[in-house]
Amino acid sequence: MLNLPRWQAIVIIAITVLSGLFALPNLLPNSVLDVLPHWYSQSRIGLGLDLRGGAHFLLEADLRSVLNERLANLSDSVRAELRKQQVPFKEVTVDPGRALVVTLRDEAQRAKAVEAIRAVDPALAVSGAGDTIRIAYSDQELFRRKKEVIDQSIEILRRRVDETGTLEPTITRQGDERILLQVPGIKDTTDLKRKINQTAKLTFHLVNEDVAAAGANIPATLPPTTFLVPTREGLQELRRSNPKAWEDIQSANPRLSPEQVCRRYQPQCLPVLKRVVVGGEDLDDSKATFEQQQGGRPIISFTFNSAGGRAFCAATRANIGKRLAIQLDGEIISAPVVQSAICGGSGIITGSFTPQQTQEQALLLRSGALPATLTIIQESTVGADLGADAIRAGTVAAIVGTVLVALVMFVAYGPVFGGFANLAMLVNLLMVFAGMSILGASLTLPGMAGLVLTVGMAVDSNVLIYERVREEKALGRSAFSSIATGYERAMSAIIDANLTTLIAAVLLFGFGSGPIRGFATTLSLGLLTSMFSSTIFTRMLLSIWVRWRRPTELLI
Amino acid sequence: MWKPVHLFAFKKKFDFLGQRKTALILSTLINVVSILGVIFVGLNFGIDFKGGIAIQARAKQGVAQLDALRSIVGGLGVGEVSLQEFGEASTVLIRIQRQDGGPQCVAGAQRVLQKRAGAGWQAKPGAAGTGDVELTAPAALDGAGWRDAVSRVGLTIIERQLPRGTTNTAKIDMTPEQQAEWCQQVVIKQVEDAIGANYEIRGTESVGPKVGDELMVSGIWAVLATMGAIVVYVWFRYEWQFGVGALIAMLHDVISTIGVFVLLQLDFSLTALAAVLTIAGYSINDTVVIFDRVRENMRRYKKLGLVELLNISINETLSRTLMTSGTVFVAVGALVLFGGPVLYSFSVAMLWGVIVGTYSSVWIACAALVYLGLRADHLRPNDEEKAEKAKT
Repeated sequence: MLNLPRWQAIVIIAITVLSGLFALPNLLPNSVLDVLPHWYSQSRIGLGLDLRGGAHFLLEADLRSVLNERLANLSDSVRAELRKQQVPFKEVTVDPGRALVVTLRDEAQRAKAVEAIRAVDPALAVSGAGDTIRIAYSDQELFRRKKEVIDQSIEILRRRVDETGTLEPTITRQGDERILLQVPGIKDTTDLKRKINQTAKLTFHLVNEDVAAAGANIPATLPPTTFLVPTREGLQELRRSNPKAWEDIQSANPRLSPEQVCRRYQPQCLPVLKRVVVGGEDLDDSKATFEQQQGGRPIISFTFNSAGGRAFCAATRANIGKRLAIQLDGEIISAPVVQSAICGGSGIITGSFTPQQTQEQALLLRSGALPATLTIIQESTVGADLGADAIRAGTVAAIVGTVLVALVMFVAYGPVFGGFANLAMLVNLLMVFAGMSILGASLTLPGMAGLVLTVGMAVDSNVLIYERVREEKALGRSAFSSIATGYERAMSAIIDANLTTLIAAVLLFGFGSGPIRGFATTLSLGLLTSMFSSTIFTRMLLSIWVRWRRPTELLI
Repeated sequence: MWKPVHLFAFKKKFDFLGQRKTALILSTLINVVSILGVIFVGLNFGIDFKGGIAIQARAKQGVAQLDALRSIVGGLGVGEVSLQEFGEASTVLIRIQRQDGGPQCVAGAQRVLQKRAGAGWQAKPGAAGTGDVELTAPAALDGAGWRDAVSRVGLTIIERQLPRGTTNTAKIDMTPEQQAEWCQQVVIKQVEDAIGANYEIRGTESVGPKVGDELMVSGIWAVLATMGAIVVYVWFRYEWQFGVGALIAMLHDVISTIGVFVLLQLDFSLTALAAVLTIAGYSINDTVVIFDRVRENMRRYKKLGLVELLNISINETLSRTLMTSGTVFVAVGALVLFGGPVLYSFSVAMLWGVIVGTYSSVWIACAALVYLGLRADHLRPNDEEKAEKAKT
């Protein structure tokens, strides 16, 4: 038991050193970190909002209204199609939140009616009997649409909340219909809500091809009807090549107009006519799909409401061959060439896109308006000084707790055994820090409590071992044999004791949210790593010590 | 160098189980009182489980005037309000019951608008059965103006809910449930307006009716699932008598911890629930250390009476039981003393959990083995015995 093969010792030491390396960036002062390579110094444990200060919103999307709206739109299409196919019907009603119910005048027409409905949208699930037909979206389709609404909302929130790119908000989906929005360093939620409530400005403009044909990216003079707008690629290129300029643009107050950005920083720009062809409020939907013919290239399809459709039809008819620029918040996200007059309210954008690009562009096109009402169902704000107080209290408690536990172990088991146990406790703390760095977990105030608790529980394994060693020694075993048997016999109690607490910690992680998860994280990690540090690691130390000192009498 | 001190090296001949009747009566009493306390006095649920608003404020000068604050916040017409000093004399934690919407809340929203957006603002409830709110501005506003105004009363809206063009009235359509959620925000703004002159708001927290109800249900499930999983584990590792003994000890610890929350009227929040679950795990932690030895001794001394055997096992493991509890006690003690007001409920509960967990391992879990009539031949054969049987 105590004759440790060399390779085992090497593995144990390697694990310990690696943990130390992973944990180190969290313990070094900033002055040292500045000298170290960025990838290393940046792998630190983040602080939770309760320690760092900031605002936390849990938002619920009103998906039921979205579905009802879609059903209402669908009922219009179904009515129109049934009339076109000359199927007489009594009524088409919406069963809120569920389905559409069609009541036919003549049962015999059922097959024809079903065929007409399928023509509207082949993905619809059709059921019912006799003269009533129930039309619903399949579960799969509903799930897809829900996901689409949430993804779109998250994207829009990100654009609105973090227009300057400096706030580092965390925006994540929670369950089926919720979004968690966390913004560090913010205390005034009115301002944050103002940002959530703002609308992105999406507009369609014709490109002034006469100016563009002249060739200069930034022409010295422009006709009064025309202004310059930077393209999205141009701005991204500028951000890469000249981060300072990008920062200046973002922090300028008042905000720079698109033309000012073009003139000052000279990214790739397009001259567009000031007149707005259609506004984003008239755009109903856009999605990434594939072309039906010609090899199925990835394309973006979009739909306008009736007013938008008419305006779009007139503008495209008169400008075939010219480019139509789509401007979102002062940048041109796309400028496709008008191939033909686009009437009937929907059209497509073709180009050499990858499927991922079409997804992105479709999402950007939809970024004008939030698809569903987002209600705040939970909110918390923590001032920075409140967070600082919490950090101070947690740190003091952790240090006092650790020192006291170390003292008890030193007194009870002497400098050698107590020392090894305390060394193991420190290794355990390092491993928890390393584990959190690797997992990207953040430290919360309850998480600090979990750390303190871990310190108290981690030495328990050593207590179990040492007490057993004392018993074996009292039975008259030799020093070597007492230690070996002590480790062996204490093992089952150690595993049981740690696993039962681990069960509670893991279930707490599954159930809990926010700061409580931080507690579950540090406690579970601490219990897991203590099984290494308190048993395997101390056994190695003791085996080296026994071989070195060859003690005849154990001081334990 | 110093010599180790055997901290618990007294003569280990206590007749623990001789006292089992006294312990049984005492524990039953504690548990019955705890359950009665939960039923008749009730837990002091935090806003996590009940929904509601908590605001931490600090006096800009001097100490917090609790009585003055109570009458100011109580006068806002926002229902039940409770105040307590939080950590230091200048800081106060204001808790307000959960808001369920209605005309009272809309009137509050009007006051917030008048204070924050201008005197001419009005807010009125919309049609009965809906949660709609009709807003009237002193002058005609465009979309941007409306968005700014509703942000000031903590409302998040979408384009569809706004009037088109420039008007001075807007009907914001909401369901009654959405309105109720929003009303938590209205109350935060009202309190900010009412006490902001003399107090600095350090942090706010609000939980709407929906999340409150959900957390309550999932909290109960978490406790049941944790206890179930631990019992299954012990059952799997030990014979059923041990499993039942451990379960009874764990229930004892959990129920009496909840009793402590009732007795001291500690805030029962999510952190408190974390304490209860950790105590459930720790209770077993302590118990299995003794059970492990009981099982070992049963194999060794097959002829010994159960009570005597349990006493021997408890005495043999006594110093390690006290040492393991002692180290955790010391660590948790540091949390109680230095962890700050946020962790206070958690730390006190954990401290109690460590003490009661140690007690119950000896007097409840082991006593249960006596009453369940555990005998040596109930034990599953271990590996050595299996090997022996295979030989014969």
